Amino acid sequence: MALSQPQPANQIPSPVPGAAVVVEDLHKRFGQLEVLKGVSLVAHEGDVISMIGSSGSGKSTFLRCINLLETPDEGRVWVNGELIRMKQGRHHAVPADAKQVDRIRSGLGMVFQGFNLWTHMTVLQNVIEAPVHVLGVPKAEAIDRAEALLQKVGLEAKASSYPSHLSGGQQQRVAIARALAMQPKVMLFDEPTSALDPELVGEVLRVMRQLADEGMTMIIVTHEMGFAREVSSEVIFLHQGRIEEQGPPDQVLANPRSDRCRQFLARNL
Amino acid sequence: MNLSIMWDAVPKLLAGVPVTLQLVGLALLFGFALAAGVAWMRLSASKLLSRIAAGYVFVFRGTPLLVQIFLIYYGLGQFQAVRASIFWDILREPYWCGVIALTLNTAAYTSEMIRGGVQSVPHGQIEAARACGFSRLMVFRRIVAPIAVRQALPAYGNEIILMVKASSLASTITLLEITGIARRIISQSFAVFEVFIVAGAIYLLINFLITRLIRYAEWRVTPHLRRPA
Repeated sequence: MALSQPQPANQIPSPVPGAAVVVEDLHKRFGQLEVLKGVSLVAHEGDVISMIGSSGSGKSTFLRCINLLETPDEGRVWVNGELIRMKQGRHHAVPADAKQVDRIRSGLGMVFQGFNLWTHMTVLQNVIEAPVHVLGVPKAEAIDRAEALLQKVGLEAKASSYPSHLSGGQQQRVAIARALAMQPKVMLFDEPTSALDPELVGEVLRVMRQLADEGMTMIIVTHEMGFAREVSSEVIFLHQGRIEEQGPPDQVLANPRSDRCRQFLARNL
Repeated sequence: MNLSIMWDAVPKLLAGVPVTLQLVGLALLFGFALAAGVAWMRLSASKLLSRIAAGYVFVFRGTPLLVQIFLIYYGLGQFQAVRASIFWDILREPYWCGVIALTLNTAAYTSEMIRGGVQSVPHGQIEAARACGFSRLMVFRRIVAPIAVRQALPAYGNEIILMVKASSLASTITLLEITGIARRIISQSFAVFEVFIVAGAIYLLINFLITRLIRYAEWRVTPHLRRPA
C-alpha cells in the first residue's frame, strides 16, 4: 500500500510536472464499502474537468479527497506539483502535516452544493474572512478585492446583506466569490447547482462559464450535462468508484463507448 | 401590612445587593471558565474525559444546590486534612463556600449549554472554513464559537436569572446578601410578609434589568435573523 511506505514515498515528484492537480490511484473506503476503487486524474492549468455519474458513484467523494475534506485510504494527490504527505494512522491514513494541508487548501477554492456560507457574517465579511485571517491580507485591501469580486458575480449591492436574506442562487454566487477571494489556482465545484430551484441554476452557471472563459482551472461534479458539454475540456464518467469513460465532452457525452455511460446519459439528458 | 416597616426595610435590603451581585458575578465568571473546560472534555474524543465530564454534570445537576452548599460549608470542615490544608483559609469562609457551590452548580448547567451550542453549528460551515485553509483553532475562534454563543445565549440568560435567585440559598450559611438580611430583619421585627415582599421586589428588579440586557445582547449578535432594513 502506497501510504504505508516510509519517508521517501513522501517526496515523490509529480508524475506530470506542471499540472495543477494530479491524482493517482485514489482509494476510499467507508467501513466495508469501497467508494473509490483507484481513480486517477490530471488537471492541467486552464482545464475544465466535469465529473458525472449517478449518485453513489463516488464523484463527490473523489472531489473532497483532493482538498482532504475526505482522507483517501490509498493513492497520492499532488497540487501544483506538491505531494500531500500522508502517514498511516491507527485505523487509516491521515495527513502527515496539518499545516501543509491548510496551506494547500488555501490555494484550492471549493464551492459546495449547500453553499455553506457563514450565517453570522454579512456577504462582504464572508468574502474577506479567509483572505484576512488565513492569508493575512490587510483588511482594506481585502475589502477592495471583495467588492470587485462581488461585482463580478453581480452582487455588489448585497455586500451588507446576510446570507439568510439571499436566494439560493445569490448565496451560491457569494460562495463562488468567497472561494475566488483566496486567489486559488484551482476551483473545485461539488454539485454547485443541485440544491437550486431550476430558475436559479442559470445565474450560477453563467458565473462558472465566465470563470472557465477566463482560464480558471476547474474540476466540477455536476448533473448539468448541457453545461458540462459546453465548457469542459474533459468529461469523466464515474461508475461504482471507477472511471468508466473519459475524454473530450463530444466523445463522452455524444458518442460514449461504454453501455453504462450510454444508459446514464439516456436517463439524464 | 405595615408600610413603614416596608419602607424602613428598603435601604437595609438594598445594602445586600452588592453581596448578591458579587456572589452571582463571581460564580458566573468562574463557572463559565469551568464550564468551558467541562464542555471541552465532554466533546473530546477521549471516552475517559467525556465520561468524567458527564459524571460531573450528572452529580451537580442532579443534587439540590442547598445540599451542595451544606456539604461544602459544613461537610468539608469535618476533615482534619481539609482543615490542615492551605485551602482552609478559603473553605472556612461562608462567602467563598457560597461562591464555590454556586460556581460548581452553574458550571454543570453551562457546560451543557456550551456543548449544545457547539454541536448546533452546521457542519457545512465548518467544512467551508476548513476548505479555505483555516486551522482547527481558527475554525473554532472565527466560526464555531460565534455561532455557538448565539445559539446558547437565550438559555444562558435563563441561567443568569436562575443564579440570581439561587444565590438566596447562601443566606443559609450566614451570608448577609438580600435574603440573609431579610431573615435577620424578620427575626427582630417578625414582619415576615412585609420584608419578604420588599426582598422579592428587589430580586424582580435585578432580574428585569438582566432580562433587558440579555435581550439587547441577543438583538445585537443576531442581525442575520432580523428582517433586512
